[in-house]
Amino acid sequence: MNETLNKKTGRNTLGSLVNNYSFVLIFLAIFATFLIINGSATTWSGVMNILRHSAVVGLLAFGMGLVIITGGIDLSVGSMLALIGGISVTVFNATNSIALTFLVAVGMGILLGLINGVFVGFANIPAFIVTLSTMLIYRSIAQYYLRTMGMSIYNMDGNLSHYGALYGFGQTKIATVPMVGIILILFTVIMVYVATLTKFGKKVYAVGSNERAAHLAGVNVKKTRVLVFVITGLLAGIATFLWMSMNGSVDPATIGKSYEMYAIAAVVIGGISMAGGRGKLLGVLFGAMSYTIIDKIIASLGVDALINDTIKGSILLLAVLIQSVIPVIRARLKKASVG
Amino acid sequence: MEILKMTDISKSFFGVPVLRHVNLDVEQGEVHALLGENGAGKSTLMNILAGVYTRDSGTVVFDGKPMEDTTINDAEKAGIAFVHQELNLFNDLKVYENIFLCNELTYKTGMLNRKEMIRLSQELFDKMEVDIDPTSAVSELETGKKQLLEIAKALHAQAKLLILDEPTTALNNEEIAHLFTIIRRLQKQGKSFIFISHKMNEIFTIADRYTVLRNGEYIHSGKIAETDPKEVTKLMVGSKFNEDDAYEPRDSGETVLELRGLSGDAFSDISFSVKRGEVVGFTGLVGSGVSEMFQTVFGALPIKGGELTVNGKVMQGNNIHLAMCQGVGMIAANRKENSIIPDFSLLENTYISEHTLVDSKQHISVKKETEKFLRLAGLLNVKANAPTDLITSLSGGNQQKVILARWLNTNADILLLDNPTQGIDVGAKGEIYKLIHQLAKEGKTILVNTLEIPELQQVADRCIVFYHGHLQTEIPRSEMTEENVMLWATNAINTVKGA
Repeated sequence: MNETLNKKTGRNTLGSLVNNYSFVLIFLAIFATFLIINGSATTWSGVMNILRHSAVVGLLAFGMGLVIITGGIDLSVGSMLALIGGISVTVFNATNSIALTFLVAVGMGILLGLINGVFVGFANIPAFIVTLSTMLIYRSIAQYYLRTMGMSIYNMDGNLSHYGALYGFGQTKIATVPMVGIILILFTVIMVYVATLTKFGKKVYAVGSNERAAHLAGVNVKKTRVLVFVITGLLAGIATFLWMSMNGSVDPATIGKSYEMYAIAAVVIGGISMAGGRGKLLGVLFGAMSYTIIDKIIASLGVDALINDTIKGSILLLAVLIQSVIPVIRARLKKASVG
Repeated sequence: MEILKMTDISKSFFGVPVLRHVNLDVEQGEVHALLGENGAGKSTLMNILAGVYTRDSGTVVFDGKPMEDTTINDAEKAGIAFVHQELNLFNDLKVYENIFLCNELTYKTGMLNRKEMIRLSQELFDKMEVDIDPTSAVSELETGKKQLLEIAKALHAQAKLLILDEPTTALNNEEIAHLFTIIRRLQKQGKSFIFISHKMNEIFTIADRYTVLRNGEYIHSGKIAETDPKEVTKLMVGSKFNEDDAYEPRDSGETVLELRGLSGDAFSDISFSVKRGEVVGFTGLVGSGVSEMFQTVFGALPIKGGELTVNGKVMQGNNIHLAMCQGVGMIAANRKENSIIPDFSLLENTYISEHTLVDSKQHISVKKETEKFLRLAGLLNVKANAPTDLITSLSGGNQQKVILARWLNTNADILLLDNPTQGIDVGAKGEIYKLIHQLAKEGKTILVNTLEIPELQQVADRCIVFYHGHLQTEIPRSEMTEENVMLWATNAINTVKGA
């Protein structure tokens, strides 16, 4: 009863490490499978491509992670890609300006996120309902607008003088590492920092852990809720810009389809609690990469890509099973070793 | 005749003994008070009795039959009913549906026989002389009625022994009196009770005998008639007990808080002022409006009229942030719902409020925050392992100290403490009282809302009594007797005058 309080940190047993970082284990298992299946065909650039192809879902998933930590959800992120993409391509074709295109993409993202956030934070409508609605709205606007222009896909104009630079950006490598992958890593660092070492980050966790107590501790709950949606929109804007630079076009019917689900899955595999208040954003990166590798494995096996979601769904179930079973096993072991 | 005899009960969790050779005997038809501080082993013992935990050793004989490998179902069938502190009722179901849950009466077709269930429920309530409509939704019942419904449920299940775990926590005095009447009536019908409570006056009103546990050990059993509250408290806290009154008079400074005709949710036209360094006690029955008045001063509820001046500034509207910037801090009632951020460590729970004051400088320096926390934890004597431990790993008293640290960390100089010792054991209560005095001496102004009059006597310079949202009177320290305060709090004083 008389422990003196000092600076020592809580004990980090091997069990708690496995529990807190199960996303690394899942990633390593999938990555090992990838290496085995690919065998001698494995190349450095193939591995680096995992980073590149994880970027779009990864950025969406970081926003999703913050939203889920507050106890909310954002189903509209995939549709945001379509609407932001459509408008950004149109802006680029009209202005031939990369900087303006980037600013419009980010600005649109912030606006779409703000719409979600205001309905959730101030009108107190459940996030699921709000973002389900905007998921339908955002994509539909992108498709409708395209139809009125008599086209089926938003193509960046390859004859513009800056097209080469924008498209090239998506293909560039720095010291063999794809630019897009570097940007993903950069945002991982930023987001992990924001979540763990800033006042804002702690407020996000506080709101998700006990909203009433956070409010009575002085946290502006509404503002925090709005901000996490705005950040998600901002990240969706950047993700759209990356998509454009990688692909050169945006098809509003298919771009980002089911990406909200993949982002949620990445968040869950990363160990963030759907109930809010708990989990690490670092896990989100591993969750997103795990899913990209599954795509690669299926491609190299030459199996029909339609089996893809079966495997992704199973991995998600398995990940959650591991997360919920490990604590039980640990408790059993503890009991056995004592008694 | 003995209905229950628990002998030599021991129980360990993960190698840590929580009960060591504990005995408990309950006579048929008696109310037996089970006493001890939080962590003394009361709940563990009761959970063993109710079949929630299995004992490591010892024997239990209930109603003449030995109980071995008892499950929850076995205990219920044998006639043991555990009425938990947090009521186990389904709020969205009707009263009779709660009573017959899992034992529904049906017609031969399998359709529910609602009529019969409602009739039997009514019969049950009539027998208890309780006024509850079997067809009303549980969510519409007052807390007191819910407590009685729990007891009715136990009686319906043919319980012979009812375990009441702090049954009066959420009840007002009238409801408590009603509960006691019903307990006495059931007692005459031969039902036995184990009564767990921290409130001495209740124990000395209702109980026949008592058993004291301390640190998992059996300390003493005896007849209530042959002891007094002081002696029982001594048995409960052991050598820690300190009879010294924590109170000593202080000088107070300028006026820092002034209410002029303030109205809000559940209170109206309240005027009083508080000087720097004062400790003012507030009391009133449940629903008196003190808690709402605190929340309004703190900015959590809207001002509906009148004027509120804090540290010289007239406050507008309802905004917690503005109140905090004026130096107001509030420890809300119901720590678990309103104060604790369960996924946060002690450190995080402490710094969260200070971080809402200024939005610039977003970076958190863990080193600096830890140093600040350790200083506060030392000052408040927080007993814990490490700053990074989850707050939920602490006892109630230490949790409350961390919440107090949260507000000291914001440099709040007006502290509103709404029922600050709720669910805190006797020893830790004394520590909280000492801290209140220490802080007041350092120039903090403290307002305490409490339902316990001894608590007022421990800390308050004067006491303001509320009744149904109105300020009844202000009582100076010299006249703060239990009787005097209750006269005002129950409005009995006006009834007498009117007669």
